[in-house]
Amino acid sequence: MTLFHGRTGTEVVSLKKPGKENISLILFALPAFIVYALFKLFPAVSGIYYAMTNWNGINNAGKSYDFIGLDNFIEIMSDKYYWKSILFTMKYVLVMIIVVNIAALVLAVAIESRKRMKGIFRTIFFMPNMISMIIGGYMWMFVFTKVLYYMADNWGISFFDKSWIGDPQYAFIAIIIVASWGAVGYLMIIYMAALQGVPVNLKEAASLDGANAWQSFWHVSLPLIQNAVTICVFWTLNSAFQVFDVVYALTGGGPGRATQTVAINIYEEAFRGNIRYGYATAKSTMLFFIVFVITLIQLRVMKRKEQEL
Amino acid sequence: MKKFLALMLAASMSLSLAACSTSGTSSVTTAEKAGESTAAAATAATTAEPREAELNVMMSFPQYMDQWETYCQQFEAKMLAEENIKVKVNLEMPSSDQYENVLQARLSSGDAPDLYTLHCNLIPTYYKAGNLTDLSNEELAGKIYDNVKATVTRDGKLLAVPIESQAWGILYNKDIFEKCGLTPPETLDDLKNICSVLKENGYTPFLLAYQEQWVPQLMTALTLGGKVSGEIPDWVDRMYSDSGSYEEVRDIFGPIDLIMQNGTDRAMEEGSEAGSADFANGKAAMYLQGTWASNTIMTANPDMKLGVFALPINNNKDCTKVNLSTSTTLAVYPGTKEMDLALKFANYVLDDKDSSALFQACSFNPIASCHTYEASSWVADASAYVAAGRAYQDLVLPQAVTDEQGKLLQEYYVGSITQDEFISQMDSVFKEANKQA
Repeated sequence: MTLFHGRTGTEVVSLKKPGKENISLILFALPAFIVYALFKLFPAVSGIYYAMTNWNGINNAGKSYDFIGLDNFIEIMSDKYYWKSILFTMKYVLVMIIVVNIAALVLAVAIESRKRMKGIFRTIFFMPNMISMIIGGYMWMFVFTKVLYYMADNWGISFFDKSWIGDPQYAFIAIIIVASWGAVGYLMIIYMAALQGVPVNLKEAASLDGANAWQSFWHVSLPLIQNAVTICVFWTLNSAFQVFDVVYALTGGGPGRATQTVAINIYEEAFRGNIRYGYATAKSTMLFFIVFVITLIQLRVMKRKEQEL
Repeated sequence: MKKFLALMLAASMSLSLAACSTSGTSSVTTAEKAGESTAAAATAATTAEPREAELNVMMSFPQYMDQWETYCQQFEAKMLAEENIKVKVNLEMPSSDQYENVLQARLSSGDAPDLYTLHCNLIPTYYKAGNLTDLSNEELAGKIYDNVKATVTRDGKLLAVPIESQAWGILYNKDIFEKCGLTPPETLDDLKNICSVLKENGYTPFLLAYQEQWVPQLMTALTLGGKVSGEIPDWVDRMYSDSGSYEEVRDIFGPIDLIMQNGTDRAMEEGSEAGSADFANGKAAMYLQGTWASNTIMTANPDMKLGVFALPINNNKDCTKVNLSTSTTLAVYPGTKEMDLALKFANYVLDDKDSSALFQACSFNPIASCHTYEASSWVADASAYVAAGRAYQDLVLPQAVTDEQGKLLQEYYVGSITQDEFISQMDSVFKEANKQA
């Protein structure tokens, strides 16, 4: 038994055997942990085993495959379409991080500074996030292939008369538009929560000292929401690297492979063409390592900036 | 109050759960999950207790869902009446672009359906993996037309029931052709002439719908088939043994370029169904698409006069032939627990009495001696070519090769690659597919 003197000097809290409290904590977390281990950890680890085989999805009658060690990984090094898709995905990630975070921040500031109707605007901008991106992709495909052309043909807005799905440049822009439409709401909520945590007296002090709205934001609010920025950039980086549903619904990776992200490349390796499950799993493992390294770097850099506060 | 609300919520949720679990007929044509069909078993009063059985059938015909559901109900009634077996046929219809993935997942997880449809070109692969039952000794074997039977036979064994067999080439709008005084072409020059006449009269020659990658791939299916069967019959075998090249078939770009340069705008934004509907409404005079699209076309415009002609490749008339292929077949899984019942179902597909009605309702070509219905105009057109000996068996190329052809043709259309790059890329993909096989 240990005695703990509280601030008042009269409190005594006796800690029972440390084990029992921990056990009940563990029991509470156990169901979630079991689900996580079963559906996330186990497939990932067994995937690394399959990545070292030449498992072909069709010869499944006897589950016949051979263990081939690191041959798959050596083959990945010379797979030009895989690296092209990684490059395209990185380009997409970079643009997404910038576009989505700036848009979310602007929206968060705009809505926070409103006196009334905050709730309604918040709901409106969050709604796209609630729609599955496959559905959103198909919705926007209708817009890009029918609505915009109708407007271009009948109302003379020739700006819309581009090949939004067929031309690789414009297809990229279309994908960015749809993906950010879906993601902005989520980040906006996080930024709004962070902005609400900025003490009002600091902002008042700044305005008393003659700062305008922009200076007040840039020098007072922004440094104080730095950890929210870290989280949002981390989340955008992570989810943008794995983007599949938006691109699949909108362009299918096309035309040809012009908008093929790495997730689609892996999907097609596994389920189309030569149906090479083993090789595709190796590619996924490689992707895991790439994202892992990039995320580590990103977190370290931004954590350092946070500590300056 | 709060307790009351909570109780009501719980009650309504458990009620809706109960409602979901009761069976009923429903036709769900979503793009994702399969739609199950359970029909109420025939309420024939039988003295003996009927044996209960379940049959899982997976098919890739979401557009013919209604016809097949009716057919399954007929089968259930027939089984109850004749064999005293109360069958529940679980009919699943994933959408065609998801179908293969779903089937492979089911086969590799040990949850294989008893019967499943399979594209004819996949028969060799599935045969090698041991997923097909030999049907040579079944009643249906004797009924199938010889040239159709050849498409589903390997090593002398009948491996699947052919269902969708078609002869196809280019679909054309007979009304537009009549108005411009045109007849089907025999050579590439004829086709070029047709294009210029159509353009002079204000019609767009070809409808292009390249959003989905399998539609551009049809161009290579037709052009390679015509060129190879007319001039280099051993090309496919040599490709399989790594001693051929796409350079030998460079001619195919003659018609491909002609089609791409004389087509509708915004091809990359047009899906195949939208393309069929637009073609039915006269947006273009010709459409490179199979006769499987006829259902959509005739639904969009029931007054459409649809015809088929063979695509010319060059100025050699021997290369102008229609593609005779069996696309969808029905296979029986060898490991099924209900083998007898599954075989009965397979035989029922070509039943003497009922099969004609089904095939006619789905606008399928007649493929067996039990089919006594009159064929539609486009079927008659194509069959005329077949009867005159101007048809070839659809070339069987590796799946990876046909996928790549579709992708590269999309890139070729938007101008990202040249003919030379197409040829060298296809050669390496073919070699890779040979290596993986």
